[in-house]
Amino acid sequence: MHRRKFLKASAVFSAGAAGAYALPLLTAFKSNAAAPASTKLRWGMVIDLTRCPANCTACVDACKKENNVNTSGDKLRDIYRIRKVTLESTLSAAPVQKSVPLLCNHCDNPPCALACPIKATTKRDDGIVIVDPHRCMGCRYCMIACPYNARHFHFRENTEQPNPAYPKRHHGVSESCNLCAHLLDQGKRPACVEACANVNAQALTVGNLNDPNSEISMLIRNHPVKRLREELGTEPKVFYIGL
Amino acid sequence: MAIEFKTEFKPIEGKSKSFYLLTFMLAGLVLAGAYATWMMDRHGLYLSGMNNRIPWGLPIVMAVFYIGLSAGSLVISSLYGVFGKLEYKPFARVATFMALLLMVGGLLSILSDQGRLDRVLVEPFLHFNPLSMLSINPFLYSAYILICTVYLCVLMMGNEKWTKRLAVVAVLWAILVHSGTGAIFGLVPRGMYKSPLLPPSFIVAALSSGTALMILIILGLFRLTKRPLDTKPILWIGRLLGVFIVGVVYFVFIENAHRYYLVETRAAEHYFLFGGFHSLLFWVGMVLVGAVVPTTILFGRKSGDSIPWVAAAAVMVVAGVLCERYLIVIPGLSHPPDLVPGWRITQSAVEEGIVGYCPTSYEVVQALGVVALIGLTFIWGLKLLKLLPTEAKI
Repeated sequence: MHRRKFLKASAVFSAGAAGAYALPLLTAFKSNAAAPASTKLRWGMVIDLTRCPANCTACVDACKKENNVNTSGDKLRDIYRIRKVTLESTLSAAPVQKSVPLLCNHCDNPPCALACPIKATTKRDDGIVIVDPHRCMGCRYCMIACPYNARHFHFRENTEQPNPAYPKRHHGVSESCNLCAHLLDQGKRPACVEACANVNAQALTVGNLNDPNSEISMLIRNHPVKRLREELGTEPKVFYIGL
Repeated sequence: MAIEFKTEFKPIEGKSKSFYLLTFMLAGLVLAGAYATWMMDRHGLYLSGMNNRIPWGLPIVMAVFYIGLSAGSLVISSLYGVFGKLEYKPFARVATFMALLLMVGGLLSILSDQGRLDRVLVEPFLHFNPLSMLSINPFLYSAYILICTVYLCVLMMGNEKWTKRLAVVAVLWAILVHSGTGAIFGLVPRGMYKSPLLPPSFIVAALSSGTALMILIILGLFRLTKRPLDTKPILWIGRLLGVFIVGVVYFVFIENAHRYYLVETRAAEHYFLFGGFHSLLFWVGMVLVGAVVPTTILFGRKSGDSIPWVAAAAVMVVAGVLCERYLIVIPGLSHPPDLVPGWRITQSAVEEGIVGYCPTSYEVVQALGVVALIGLTFIWGLKLLKLLPTEAKI
């Protein structure tokens, strides 16, 4: 084959391939952009670390019970929708410690939803990033894509079901916090927030970020807040006070 | 242009005791691999060495490896198909067949690695996410398998015009396949993964491992079937392989230097270069055995013209690229991301530090099963189809 002919064929081929792909791609990116301001609901969470007691795991325990996520002490394969970690400052010479709950950040630009090949992970209109366990085929690409290590996988069959009102998942699917969407949809608070209030800590607040008068909007307005790894542009909706 | 030159193709006999022994051994391995896959699907992936921090392990490493080998095989075939080099016509069929099988192996590796095997062949067709690299790629792979099949048919029918056309399509599609495979890793927000260089570097690594494998296959087949072989074209492929390795080294150097230079990835890169077993794989497996020694051999005045030396270099390159594949997938996951800058995690219910990965016997048997399936189909293809020429002489 002559070189000119080969180059010509390559050019036509690349143009065709790019064109065929461009259209669905453009529309798909559009739907992935940040939620429009007209949406009434946009859930977010504020975690006030100044009120979060160091040895308290009420939120973690409540979450496990509500969502039927059981753990067996395997640090590498246990599932935590929300977990508590102890942080130590690397900046100051004197050891400063903080106890911090980590969970799915429900990003406005979720890399996990972008990565999911079958749209089993999606961002709802109200901003909650949610996994459909009936669709997930367990490719684990979302875990690779999540910059927060907030995604865990059902390596084992889930045997316990402390909450009969909520289904348990088969092994082989991905799992992450969905802000207890099933409770929020009924007008109730997520299990972790409820538990935190019940132990009188009230460090966790869930609310509508689009309502300027909601408790969460006021907290964000009146306190210096931080989000995790903001430089990635994922636009997390979990805000930390006192980090 | 007008040199008419006939290459006669003849199936291998395949009646010897050793042929059937090999068939039974490979079939046994395939069954064992299927059993391992079934066990992991039945009981859960805790049977593998994978975990929440390293969710991808040996199956993905092997898949990427097969896919690379596949493209390289196709290059050998394209020397005749695209560039019209008649001295490579004898190898075109067997190279295309190998390319086809390796891609099937790659796809099979990925498919059998899923957590829910019952959904793998259903959900992607119902809910296609056009933005996910993991849905673009299986599409590219299956189309590639189709293109290779048609290309092989046309090659076997001896239709020159369509051979050239399809060879061009196949080569261009192979470039897409490799860019796509590199993008699976290059397009996620992880310090050790994200890089626009991964797609092109995948293409070069694929070319080097694939040509190396084809050198070994061609030499092995002609020796085993005692068919006469002119070694000159093989030595030329050897030189080509040398050039490809230099390309791989260039990309690997640029990527690692970039990560070491920038402060944000320096800790992870330091761990990569000097942090444990994988560093040994990098320096010894990939740099020394995979690049330095083979290029010295291939560009050496005497060794580059000696078939045993070229074959030895080819073995080293295949091993080196396998190391490279492992090094792309695993160490990038085992070093933790800096979740809260300025703070160190001292206590957690889950593992937050550096995590190791060691494949379990289930994964190893599963990987061997895929290799065996490729091998089994290959030897029976040689027996049933006219893939191998009676001689390869100019």
